[in-house]
This record gives sequence, C-alpha cells and structure tokens, in this order.
Amino acid sequence: MITDLRYRGASTGKRVFITLSIAVMAGYVLLILYPLMNMVLSSFKTNRAIISTPFALPETFSFATFKTVWVDKGFSHYFANSLFVTTISMTFVLLFGSMASYGISRYIYRGNTLVYMLFLSGIMLPLKAAIIPLFLLIKTLGLINSRWSVILIFLAMGLPSTVFILAGFMKTIPLELEYAAKIDGCNDFMIYRKIVMPMVAPAMALVTIYNAVPIWNDFFFPLVFLQSNSVKTLPVGLSTFFGQHSTNWSLLFTGLSIAILPMLILYLFMSKYFIKGMTAGAVK
Amino acid sequence: MHRIQRSKARWIAFFITPGLLVVGLFILLPLFMSLYNSLFSWRQLIRLHFVGLDNFKRLLFTFPYQQRFFNAMKNNLYWFLSTTLIQNSLGLLFGYLLSRNLPGAQFFKRVFFIPVLFSIVAVGFLWGMYLKPSGLVNSFLKLVGLASLQRPWLGLEHLATPSIILVNIWRWVGFPSLVFLAAIDSVPQECLEAAYLEGVGEWKLFWKIIFPLIIPSITIIMVLTIIGSLNVFEQIYTMTGLDGAPNYSTDTIGTLFYRTAFGSIDAGSPEIGIGSAIGLVIYLLTFATSLLSVFVTKRKEVQL
Amino acid sequence: MKKHMLLILLVALFTASMLFAAGAQEAQTTQAKAKTTLEFWTWRPEDIDFYAKQIALFEAANPDIKVVQTALKNTEYNTILASSLSGGAGPDVFQGRAYGGLVTFADSGFLEPLEGWMPELKNYSANALLGATSPTDGKIYGSPAVSQTVFMYYNMDVYKKLGLSIPKTWNEMISNFEAVKKAGYIPLGNGAKDGWCLETLLGGMGAGFYGGSDFYNAVVAGTKTFEDPAFIRMIEQMKSLTKYMPDMFMGISYEDMRANFINEMSPHLIAGSYEAAFFKSQNPKLNFGIFAVPSEKATDPAYVSVYADMNFAMNAHSAKKDAAIKFLKFLSSKDFGKSMVTEMQMVSAVPGVDASADPFISRVLELQKNATPYLFLVGFRYEQPTGSSLWQAAAQGVMAGTLTAKQAAKQVQDGIASYYKPFKK
Repeated sequence: MITDLRYRGASTGKRVFITLSIAVMAGYVLLILYPLMNMVLSSFKTNRAIISTPFALPETFSFATFKTVWVDKGFSHYFANSLFVTTISMTFVLLFGSMASYGISRYIYRGNTLVYMLFLSGIMLPLKAAIIPLFLLIKTLGLINSRWSVILIFLAMGLPSTVFILAGFMKTIPLELEYAAKIDGCNDFMIYRKIVMPMVAPAMALVTIYNAVPIWNDFFFPLVFLQSNSVKTLPVGLSTFFGQHSTNWSLLFTGLSIAILPMLILYLFMSKYFIKGMTAGAVK
Repeated sequence: MHRIQRSKARWIAFFITPGLLVVGLFILLPLFMSLYNSLFSWRQLIRLHFVGLDNFKRLLFTFPYQQRFFNAMKNNLYWFLSTTLIQNSLGLLFGYLLSRNLPGAQFFKRVFFIPVLFSIVAVGFLWGMYLKPSGLVNSFLKLVGLASLQRPWLGLEHLATPSIILVNIWRWVGFPSLVFLAAIDSVPQECLEAAYLEGVGEWKLFWKIIFPLIIPSITIIMVLTIIGSLNVFEQIYTMTGLDGAPNYSTDTIGTLFYRTAFGSIDAGSPEIGIGSAIGLVIYLLTFATSLLSVFVTKRKEVQL
Repeated sequence: MKKHMLLILLVALFTASMLFAAGAQEAQTTQAKAKTTLEFWTWRPEDIDFYAKQIALFEAANPDIKVVQTALKNTEYNTILASSLSGGAGPDVFQGRAYGGLVTFADSGFLEPLEGWMPELKNYSANALLGATSPTDGKIYGSPAVSQTVFMYYNMDVYKKLGLSIPKTWNEMISNFEAVKKAGYIPLGNGAKDGWCLETLLGGMGAGFYGGSDFYNAVVAGTKTFEDPAFIRMIEQMKSLTKYMPDMFMGISYEDMRANFINEMSPHLIAGSYEAAFFKSQNPKLNFGIFAVPSEKATDPAYVSVYADMNFAMNAHSAKKDAAIKFLKFLSSKDFGKSMVTEMQMVSAVPGVDASADPFISRVLELQKNATPYLFLVGFRYEQPTGSSLWQAAAQGVMAGTLTAKQAAKQVQDGIASYYKPFKK
C-alpha cells in the first residue's frame, strides 16, 4: 500500500528512521518477553533459589509446584470460579454496556448528557472507597459469600468505561445508515444488533480485554465477599501465599503463571478479531 | 407526533435501563453513602454526629493532613504529566508507525498489549525484583559500562516515583498504541492516498490530516489518563507499600485515601470521616478535570 | 409493539433474576447444621496447617462444635474485618491486633469484653494485658497470645571462625562489625526500603541510647519529648550504622535483609523473634544465636524491645458466644501455649507455659530480663498519624541523607504533638 513504511524505494533518511523505529519497538518487545519468561521459569524454582538467584535458570524443570498449586491448594476450583465470574460479568458488561452506549449516542433527547455523565461518574469513583456501604448493600441482598456479589460489582465497575469507549466509537457511525435501515423496515433493536454493533466490533474487542483483565485479576472484592473455599477466585487463592512474615514465592509464581494463561489465550483470540476488523475498514 | 415520541422514549429506556440500574445501585448509591459519611465525625468505626464540612477543613488546613494531601497531589500531578507526555506520546508514535505498516508491524501489534494482561501484583513483584540493588536493572547498567548509574531505585526519594511511573508506562503503553492504531486506521484510505499523491510531507500529513480526525480517541485516552493518574494506587501499593515510602515521596491521594479510610497496620486506625472526605475530593477533581478536557477537545473535533 | 414489551420484560427479568437467584444459591449452601459452626479468622496464611491441627484437637474434645478457619492476607486483614463487622457479619473468634489496632474495634463496640467470661485473664502479666486492654474504658478485650522481642541475630559459625564473642559494649559490637567486614562479610544485613524495618532497627539498638523504659515512661507522660538530646543522639548512632549495611541499603527490602542473613552473606541482623521459625525452615544448617544490642557502657543494661503481638478476641455480636468462649478458652490454654512455643517458636503470653522445651525461646526469655516497651508500637499507635508511621518516614529520610537527625526528631515530635494531649501543654 502506498502509505506503508517500507525500505524499498525509501530515502536514506527514511531508512534510518524505519530502522530506529524497529529498534525501539524490538527493545520494548524484549522488555515484555523477558519478565513473562522470568515469571514462568520462576515457578520451577524453590523459594530460596528465587530469592538468591532470581535470574538463573531453574535447576530442574519439575512440575511439582504446579501439582501442589492446582490440586493441593485447590487452584482448580479457584480457576473455575474465576472463569465463571469473569465470563458472566463480561457478558453482561458487553450486553448492557453496548445497549446503554447505543441509547446514549444514537438518540438525541434532553436527559442525554445527564445519563452519559451518570455512567462516567462510575469511572471516577474508586469503588473501594465505598466498601463499607457496599458491604451493607450486599448483605441486605443476601449475597455475601455468593459469586453473584462480585459479578454485580464487576458489572458496575465495567459499565462506565465500556459506555465511555463504545459511545465514542458509536458516535462516528453516520446516521444515513440508520435511516436506510429504517426505510427497509428495521426496528431499533435490529439496527443496534445488525448495523451498529458489527461496526464497533474492534472497539468491542478492545473493551473486552480492557475489562476482562482487571476483573480476572481483581483480588480485593473477592477477598472481602467470597470467604468460603468453594467460591473463592484465583487472586484470592494467590493471596494465601502471602504470609505475614514469609511469602511462598515459588507457589506464588506458579499461581501467577497459571493465572495469566487464560488472559493470554483470550487476548490472542481477540487480537485476530480486532486486527481483522481494522483492516476491513471501519466504514463499509 | 406523540406516538413517535413515546415509542422513542420506550426504546431509550429499554437500552439504558439495565446498565443504569446496576450502576445506580452499586456505584452511585455507595458513593452517596460515602459522601454522607464525610459529613460526620467518627469514633473508630462508629459514626457519631453531623459536623458539616469539618472533615474537609481538617483535611485541607490542619497538620498533618494538609501536608500529606498537598504532597500527594503534587505526586499525582507528576504522574499525570509524565504519563501524558511519555506514555501517550509514545503510544501515539507507536500507533502511527504501526498504522504505517512498518516491517514487523503484525508481530509488534500483538506483543505490545501483553503487559496489560499481567496482574498488577505480578508486575509489582517482577519489577520490584528488577529494581533491587542486586537486580536486573543495575546488573544491566554494569554490563553496558554505566555502573556509576546504579542506584537503589525504589529506596531513594527522588527516584522512587519516577521508577514506579516508568514501570506503569511499561505496562500500559500498549493500550494507547492500539487505540490510536484503531483510530488512525479508521481514517479513510482515499484521503491519505490523495494527500500522498499530492506530495504532502509526512509531518504535515500527520498533524493536519490525521491528528484532527482522531481527536475522539485522544479525548478518550486523555480522560482515562486523568482518571488513572488521580486514582493510581495498586501499582504503588505493590512496589513501595501503603505509606508512600520512602518518606512520603511516593504518596498519592490514592494511597493517602486508602491509608486514612481503612487504616494500615503501621499508620494506625481508620479515620473514616476524613477518608470519605478525601474520596469526595478525588471524585470532584476527576469529574472537573475530565469535563474540562472533554470540552476542550470537543472544540477541535472534526466530523467526517 | 408487543415484541418490544416482550424484550423489555426479558431484560428486566434478567436483571431481577440475577439478584434473586443469588439468594437461592446462598440458601442452598448454608444448610442448617446440627453442630454449631464457629468462624475463626487469622492473618497468618502461613500457619493454616498449625491451626488446622489445633482445631482438630479442639473438635475432638467438643464434638458439637465445628470451627472453620479463614486465613486472610495480613495487609488486608484489618479492612476486611472492619467491613464485615460493620456490616453485621464477621467471624466469631479471631486474631486481634494489639494496642491501637485493638482500640479500633473495641471502641466501636465490636469486641466482647472478656473479664467476665475468663476471670483467669487477670493473672496475665501487666505487659501482656496492656496490649489487650482499651485505654478508653480499661476493659480487657482480648486473650493475649504472643509477645515478640526485637534483638540482634548473629551467625554463631562465623563468630566461632573469627574468634568473636558476644559484645558487651557498643564499641565492642562495632569492632565485631569491622572484623567481619575484613573477612568479606556484610557486617549488618539490615535494609531501609521497608519503613517498618527501620522501626525494627530502632527496637533493636535504640533503647540503649535513648534511655530505655525511663525514657518511654517520660515520653508517654509528656515530661520528655522526642526532641530530647538523647533521642537525637540515638538517631545519629543509627545513621552511623549505615556504613556497615549492604551497598545501596535504601533499596534492600525485608525479604532481602533476611536473605542476607539466611544465605550467610551477613552474620548480623537486627530483627524480631518471629524470624526464628522462618530462618530454621529456610536454612536448617544455619547456626544462629541472639544477643541484645549493648549500650555504650558495660554496666548499662543491654535492652531488647518487647511488645504484645496478638490476642484472640470474640465478636461482641456473635450469635454463638457460648461455643465461642469454649474455643477461646482452648486457645488460651497452657497446652495451646506450649504448642505455640514448640511448633511456632513464639513466646506465648499464657502464664505458666513451660518455655524451657525450646532453647531459642528460653534464650529470648533470658534477654527479656532487660525488656523495654517497643517505643512507638506500644505507646503511640492509638491515633493517626501513628508514631510508627512518623518514625518510619523520618528514619528513611535520615538514612537516605535527606533529613538530619534533628529534623527527623522534629518531624516525629510535631506529628505526634498534633493530637497527643500530654505534648500539647
């Protein structure tokens, strides 16, 4: 494509520029892959080895710690719980979030900005701040020790930024498309589903990752609301490796390595999607 | 006329009610209860009597809260400026280069976002380890012959916050990169190709054509950066703790808030009244600054 | 039209079902049990196995009571406890913080006063009770469980190799430092990255300079302040230790400090009695001993700082107080105290527990003859900003060189004087 940056046919100045850019980016890639590798390799080491020689290769590649973490420490349950909580929260975040964004960006009415601001206000408040009233609320609803308590909280936490990002993208869709569809006999919900949503697909992918990661990794709310072992999530399980005066590093790194896997998989899956969406062109 | 309006209203209600309900119940309601709390005096965890704005007065005008608060705000400002200037600019640069499809772009696109996937705890530990006196950063400096630059990065007052900010940038730069990439990619090809054929230079192309068209995405990133900078907490907590060590140099209103509202083992009992007041201040500041930036950038928006 | 109504209804149902389904699910999981179930919370995830064993012993003796242990991350423990108790939920029996940490819950009415339930508490030592009593109403709210002591750990093998002996004066200790430095070791393994480690440092070496228990009592009463020349001098002496600490000690964290000692890179470490079990488990071959950091004169006592660390408390709003008190009494029994000594190597606060079984603990008790209260933790953690947090921040400034000893002392004094009545005269 004519706008591509390529070596062929470029001036020397441009070539230098391209090389420098690649160098910087490659440097960053190294800075990314190394910690990832480090974290995974550390899960094969003993505590003492991690503290005294954190950068050496592990002596043996035994999967003993993985077994300890997965079976003995019950991580298989925590993993399932995390999966449940994250998937359900994300489904509703995307559903309610895109619906609300649609309701805000595609209609003009008096309360429009107010509703928008109400959603935005959710981003601005650190919800941790309200933990005591929140606890009372969850208790009143009878949800203490139920996974739905954190699902609802994560849903509430994820909606504002989702609405913010999606509304922004939805605004850029020309209104003509909507009129055309209306003439064809579509009702509003079908417009939402068949026209607007596919066009913001890249944004949806972005929003998914942007929200799924903090939900998957959040440890504060599950720590407060999910106390019995049957409902605990992965990060809470990880926190048990932190003693008051001694941390079990090898189990911790094992747990962290296990924890990052679904996110990596989700990401690789999503990245195909939003890259595809982008090359197809936003305006169709 | 009437009939159309009513059905429109129904549709609007349909779309926004579920989300609004959840946000209202789980965010706005606790928020208001917190604000309510800030107007009372507290004995430990028990609410006593109404004291109006007394907590705010104590926060802003008495020792030690005043010192801590303004010190923390200074650090937050520092966070905001560094993040905007370094992270977002770098993100814009990366996004642009990637949209121009430089060699390796497909690979870079995928890898850049990986740090975002790490949990904050993992990031805190790994980088905490690298920034130790015996850690990777210092070893690397030695390797390239810059041993004189070795430092206890997280232990010195003037280096701790910059170090944490750099780690945070490491973690997040992939996000603005991809957002800007998406935004730049949505600029119609024909526009760019036409400009090229007319011989418009790279610099002009970027600033006069691409930049104005991606303002909405810039707004999004700016607002998220403001909110992030005012709320930053976990990254600092995992790397230097709750008390803003060393000597309050890494303290931000996020850590100050948490410490005051919940107490910490060393910093003592919770002060819920003042803590709630700090929460309200954070909220107001975020609201005001986001609103401001939305208005400022809306002026520059160009619809296609 | 009808289709839209249907859709709206569906969405509303979704939302409602989320809220109510949760209730149903919860009901399923909490079936009525024939036994009484007690919730027991601790902040020691590393001790889960120990408590599980003890709980099994208790349940065997009390077949109608079941105890469920939940160990929460130490740094989040207070927050979770506070929100649960404020919300009307929370554990029945739990580990309670001492001193200021206790007051948070006691003064909020969440702790059950225990004197009526356990009159034997009066027999505990005054120091132990101080940590479990609320100064507001003088009632005892916790059953004191352990006390901790701060002193100097030393590597006995290194001492033997270099022909060193336990120093009797400060200068002897310094010359020991010099000797090990020549032999290639890091004399003192302590670091300054984690603020509370500097409080530990104070606990280990400070009392000899600032004047021990006399100073403590004077400061608490307000007759002396932290700007006292003795205290300032102590800060200067602490700063003088930096040349024996590891390179770039400002970045040495708690983990690194202990690693220095465990990996025998440093034969000295000022730390608390809670380290012994950890050292043993990490490096069983390590031959370590302890001594109290000496004062300048051989005739002055070599102090160790002591503080009550943990007590067991009962939720004032518990519905199962009769069962809870049984468990509480179990946790306060001599047998339990003994297992704390032998298995966890903690100094139990329970009177009458035979500590001679463990050589380390007996040695600690020996050093405790010159005990002095752990200055800030004991006396000044009742209000914000606590003496501890002020000291930690100021000490970091001194060690890094950004504050002089005088400025640091002033920072601490001003902070405490902002609320401490005896200083406001």
